Amino acid sequence: MAKVDRQKGVRTSTKPPAPAGPHRDQPARKKGLGTFLREDHPYVLLGTSVLALCGIWLSMRPRSAMSFLAPYYGLEVALYWVLVAWVAVSVLALLTKILYKDDYRARSPFASEKAKPIERYLSYVVWAIVVVFFLDRAVMGFANTVSVAISSNSKPQGDDLAAVIFIVYECSGIFEAGILTTIELAVFGTVIAFFLALLLVFVRIQVPDRQDNDFVRFLKIVGSGFAKVYSTVVRGTPMMVQGLVIFFGVFSMLRDSGLSTQQANAIWSTFVAGLVVISLNSTAYMMEVLRGGIEAVDPGQLEAARSLGLSQWQAMRKVVIPQGVKNSIPALSNELVINIKDSSVLSVIGVFDLMFASNTAAGIYYTQTPVYAFAAVVYLILTYVASKLLNLLSKRLGAGSVDTTPSSN
Amino acid sequence: MADKHASQAPMAWGDDQPLVRVEGLRKSFGSLEVLKDINMWVMPGEVVTIIGASGSGKSTLLRCINLLESPDAGQVWFKDVNLTGPKTNVNALREKIGMVFQGFNLFANMNVLDNCTLAPVTLKKMSKTEAEAEAMRNLDAVGLTQFAKSPVTSLSGGQKQRVAIARALCMKPEVMLFDEPTSALDPEIVGEVLNVMRDLAAQGMTMVVVTHEMAFAKNVSDRVVFMDKGVIAEEGRPQDIFTHPQHPRTREFLARYLEDEPKEA
Ligand SMILES: Nc1ncnc2c1ncn2[C@@H]1O[C@H](COP(=O)(O)OP(=O)(O)OP(=O)(O)O)[C@@H](O)[C@H]1O
Ligand SMILES: [Mg+2]
Repeated sequence: MAKVDRQKGVRTSTKPPAPAGPHRDQPARKKGLGTFLREDHPYVLLGTSVLALCGIWLSMRPRSAMSFLAPYYGLEVALYWVLVAWVAVSVLALLTKILYKDDYRARSPFASEKAKPIERYLSYVVWAIVVVFFLDRAVMGFANTVSVAISSNSKPQGDDLAAVIFIVYECSGIFEAGILTTIELAVFGTVIAFFLALLLVFVRIQVPDRQDNDFVRFLKIVGSGFAKVYSTVVRGTPMMVQGLVIFFGVFSMLRDSGLSTQQANAIWSTFVAGLVVISLNSTAYMMEVLRGGIEAVDPGQLEAARSLGLSQWQAMRKVVIPQGVKNSIPALSNELVINIKDSSVLSVIGVFDLMFASNTAAGIYYTQTPVYAFAAVVYLILTYVASKLLNLLSKRLGAGSVDTTPSSN
Repeated sequence: MADKHASQAPMAWGDDQPLVRVEGLRKSFGSLEVLKDINMWVMPGEVVTIIGASGSGKSTLLRCINLLESPDAGQVWFKDVNLTGPKTNVNALREKIGMVFQGFNLFANMNVLDNCTLAPVTLKKMSKTEAEAEAMRNLDAVGLTQFAKSPVTSLSGGQKQRVAIARALCMKPEVMLFDEPTSALDPEIVGEVLNVMRDLAAQGMTMVVVTHEMAFAKNVSDRVVFMDKGVIAEEGRPQDIFTHPQHPRTREFLARYLEDEPKEA
């Protein structure tokens, strides 16, 4: 207590109370320059000016063949000057504000109560003009590029956007199949891995119970050891290498068992192989996630269940695992996002996913950067959508069930 | 206190034979010897409180009785069954031995009623409705029927502990173990849990209670066991222990609790 009082005393003595009087109603003094400049009309004047500058820039871009403003050249010039005028007025208003400084509110005509609504309505006009320019230059420009690209007989030269549109259009079947395969691999792989991980984590966390006979004891120790080794090996090697080992390993086993190459291919298709690889790989990671979630459950929960007479298995199944899985939901759903991205390495064994489709298209047209950039955008969209959906889902799971937060009990 | 067993129906297991018997119990954690040759028994209908300083092994002894902790040596008998025997079905015997923890340990993924019905439905092959009816009776006994459908997190500490008691009672145990059931509670709500325990004792439940509530030990229990550094230093009727403690460690321990109270209390 004494310490706190002393600190208080020091603080008040070094910093005297702010003097009362006229200074107190001048907040602009204490604020930074940025705050002062933005004050009063952050959006109407300044924000809209930035927009107007964008509009001016757009209006100076070349018109495309599909431009709807082309026949109305006079109108376009008029719109352009409105934008310029708006920027000029904003600059003027800003200068006035700086000039009058602290009492600009009283003296600047731009800050008067009459001017403010007018400024606001004019700003809507500016917005509308910029939208028109955006539609004419950007949207119609893009539409024109698309229509030119897809009606072209050969890859457009010199324009990467046009080139990638042409390629994606020409190879749309390939890309569709690739994207679908990527989604299937990630979704099915994650779901299968979740159930395998549940099994494996159950084996992993077994501890010999005092009632177990020697055989059960042996099984538990072996099972737990297997899960440990599995996790170490899988998480310690690249999925690409795992894919190659499993794909060719199983393939040659099938061949050795007397099947022809065609028969072996029919059974062990690249898709099946890819799904197996991604599932087995993800299982190891998900097991670790689940183990973390289960170990985070208060050991008192298990003890309480055991004290009522439940067996180890019953207590785990009814009490501990449900809480552990719930703890793990955020990290588990992250696995889906990771699998969407990491399935790309499976193209190495010939799985026809988005990566393979991109490789194919890039090879056909000998155009790398634009095609791979397109692949990147598609991966980004897929992962973004997946993580948003999973967020919704986990929120619903969290809110919909009885109890989300592990409590003190 | 003696006449409280009079109303009880005679049990199959003789009233003159110990319900729980601990013989030569030893337990170490690593090099730390926590229990050193403990011998103890609990008669049917008896309320035994275990007191002692922190770390003296009270919780460990209690946890050895239902084998949550497995003893290094010695035996624990429930009636005529040796729990520590190699072939004993411990799970089945635990149904008869209820336990209440300091930290409540209510199942966080269930509501109050499900907490109470989980074990009866899983283990006694009771129908859900039957188990719920029984659960409601026990929740009524602890005064919490209105919370049956509530998530356990919405309860106060005292309410949680009463639910924990009701949950244990749903298995119709023959003996109840309490490990410092009020130590995690605010002083003003300790009473509501102690009242439930007092009612239980009055109904003739056999109880082993580890507690720092000396008033409860003095007024409710039939016998007090004082533990010190892993051994039972002294035991006897509460009036003897509290007024004429024999062992110097008991005197020292009780002095800390009783210094403010008048001697005859
Ligand atoms: N699982 C364990 N592993 C290691 N040491 C333990 C374990 N459980 C208890 N101990 C130690 O055993 C000793 C006795 O513990 P115990 O919990 O039985 O004491 P207690 O009498 O119940 O004390 P308190 O009044 O604080 O609850 C303590 O020193 C404790 O640290
Ligand atoms: Mg204890």
